[in-house]
Amino acid sequence: MNLNELTIELTISTSLSLGRMLAAYILSLILAIVTGVAMARNKYVESILLPILDVLQSIPILGFFPAVLAVFITTLGPVAGGELSSIFLIITSLVWNMIFGVYSSIKSLDPSIDHLVAVYKLPLIHGFLYIYLPASKSSIAANSIISWAGGWFFLTSAEVISMGRVEYRLKGLGSFIIKAFEEDNTMAYTTGLLALFMVILVSYLIIWNPFTMKYTGTRTLLGFMKAYDVIDKALSKTWGFIVEKVVAAYNVVARVKIKSTHIIICSILPPLLYQYHTRLALDNSLYSKILEYGVDFLRVAPITLIRVYLVVVTGLAVSILLAYISHTRLKLGKIIVMSGEVSSSIPAMMWWPILLPLLKGFPQGVMMFVYLQGSLWYVFFNVLIFGISSLRESIIELSEIYNVKGRLYLSRIFIPSLLPSILAGGLSASGGAWNASIAAEYIVLGDLTVDMGGVGSLLNKQAQAGDILGVLSTSFFMSLVVVFINKTIWARILGKIRGYYVVE
Amino acid sequence: MVTMSSSKNYVVEVVGVSKSYISGGREVEVLKDISFEVGREFVSIIGPSGCGKSTLLRIIAGVEKPSRGRVVFNLNRKPIIGFVFQFPTLLPWMTVLDNVILPLIATGVEKSSAIEKARMTLKVVGLGGFEDFYPSELSGGMKQRVNIARALAIEPDVLLMDEPFSNLDPLTAENLRSEVLDIWLSSILPVKSIIMVTHNVEEAVIMSDKVIILSPRPARVLKIVDVNIPRPRNRKMPEVQEMVDKVYEYVS
Ligand SMILES: Nc1ncnc2c1ncn2[C@@H]1O[C@H](COP(=O)(O)OP(=O)(O)OP(=O)(O)O)[C@@H](O)[C@H]1O
Ligand SMILES: [Mg+2]
Repeated sequence: MNLNELTIELTISTSLSLGRMLAAYILSLILAIVTGVAMARNKYVESILLPILDVLQSIPILGFFPAVLAVFITTLGPVAGGELSSIFLIITSLVWNMIFGVYSSIKSLDPSIDHLVAVYKLPLIHGFLYIYLPASKSSIAANSIISWAGGWFFLTSAEVISMGRVEYRLKGLGSFIIKAFEEDNTMAYTTGLLALFMVILVSYLIIWNPFTMKYTGTRTLLGFMKAYDVIDKALSKTWGFIVEKVVAAYNVVARVKIKSTHIIICSILPPLLYQYHTRLALDNSLYSKILEYGVDFLRVAPITLIRVYLVVVTGLAVSILLAYISHTRLKLGKIIVMSGEVSSSIPAMMWWPILLPLLKGFPQGVMMFVYLQGSLWYVFFNVLIFGISSLRESIIELSEIYNVKGRLYLSRIFIPSLLPSILAGGLSASGGAWNASIAAEYIVLGDLTVDMGGVGSLLNKQAQAGDILGVLSTSFFMSLVVVFINKTIWARILGKIRGYYVVE
Repeated sequence: MVTMSSSKNYVVEVVGVSKSYISGGREVEVLKDISFEVGREFVSIIGPSGCGKSTLLRIIAGVEKPSRGRVVFNLNRKPIIGFVFQFPTLLPWMTVLDNVILPLIATGVEKSSAIEKARMTLKVVGLGGFEDFYPSELSGGMKQRVNIARALAIEPDVLLMDEPFSNLDPLTAENLRSEVLDIWLSSILPVKSIIMVTHNVEEAVIMSDKVIILSPRPARVLKIVDVNIPRPRNRKMPEVQEMVDKVYEYVS
């Protein structure tokens, strides 16, 4: 391949990957807004969806991937089906925190705004366009930073899809880099990596960072405000136009009421599960089999449980430390966050050349690294973007006037102010850690296989053996554990701090 | 329940309204058998903190259901209700103008005529020229004016105000009070009745034609006092002071 061909190939691949990412992002955005608003506005939807989402964000979706693929590819053919499953996989890696972001920002809206909506009888569509959407803008911005990274991280897995023996490769930057790596084409490999870094850097510098700075007021980000302003203006104009047309159309077409909530519930439960359910229900020995899987699960659950929460605690400690550094030195802070944005976006497989030498001698370290990659960033961005910007000027002044410094400042002022973001991040991070267990506990690199045991390893082996019932049962038992922990521990902590930290 | 009839002389009639909440497993009685009528007049509701005044106002506005009793409007159509919230409750991402036109647009008024009405009421409350400002760029008093302008822009039959002046500094409150009275007395807007909740006895006496005094929770009507003092009134008038003393007797 000469340089010219390489450039063309690379340009096409990059555009295709970017297109996939955008499609997944936009679909996730729509899903997040509709689901988040419905959950925050409707008690029943909330009570049903909240635990389901807790589970979905914790289940290692990769375990189900072969099944999803089979459905998409057999019904739509390899091209459209492959493309759809790739977008689906990217969505599963970025949608959850966006849903929770929209949900919590609408949930924390001043109750007097509810009275406003009620008194002036704002129709649902008006509430959506004029209140709920603008109200969740800052949280959408901040969460987009996390999600965008999550999407790139999964890019290679989403473009090189193996289904048992068969492998589907979608043209794109991820598969381009893998191919170059396999063919030992250093030139293509390095240019591919460079292109990847460029795309990630540029998208953060001119879109996500300025977007977030503008709507959250955070200052710990690097970005080109001027370039973004042009984009922002164009988007605002288009948006204003859309809103006006929608409202006008609404006024013309009689005021139809849509039961949006029902549609959401149906679309979020994969019809897939149902299909397997009916097929399996015929099997007589089903329950004893599930019981066997349950015993297997119990055997490996404690070790994964320990790892998951060890990772969450490590992530919290690292993030709080970095937050404190960023808080005291703004310039350094900007560099820290930018490095976080890049390192969290680097696709999983790009790390392997670096980690490979470590794998033999220090497999625990490699496992923890993969765990952290799937979990740390939720706390990192929550604390460093949302947390720091919620530190109030007046409280900082107060501590300066009364000379509150050092440990006292950290424990009485800094950490308490960050608590809401620490907890929000911690909740997502534990979901992320469960999710990462499948990749962290069972690593196959070339002819080297490292099996660290645990729930993730079990799931991975079941998925590879095509044992769908096993994957489903293990995920089910894992879901029980996750829901139990969230309901008992997290919910209690969240409930406790809610009253304390409504500062105003 | 809100029903409509057209046989009597009042605009709003509150008939035997009671309200209780279930809170922490216990039933808390907030309003108990409240009845009164409001004609084409300015009525104040006064009562101790937490007795249920805001709840009563929300029931009249139709956004909360009474446990018993009903609210009747003597109109031939659904009443249009303006509501001045205790706190300005402006949407921070919208300009002053957009905040004021939101209820109009929600009722299907065309944008250009909504803007026209909003500009008019903003001028009435003294905010002409501030249409394109954002709430964060306004003082507390100005925000409260926007709150009032928003309630007036929909041309309400009944204007409900929940402690509209209690979160303002005394000087701003004083100015805004006389402006609201001016708007009311000049009848430039089609408001038929005003019902205002307040803690301030003097404010109630100076502004209203009738003062309804509520008891501590569960709130009952303790006394309805007619304020037959010629306008314009001010706090130094002996009749006003006498009336204030009279109302205080029931309040304390
Ligand atoms: N949605 C609700 N659920 C349970 N209790 C409620 C609810 N709304 C109000 N209450 C209770 O009803 C009582 C009256 O509340 P309300 O806000 O109407 O009082 P208020 O007279 O307006 O008080 P304030 O003078 O402080 O404004 C309070 O004790 C309050 O705790
Ligand atoms: Mg009140």
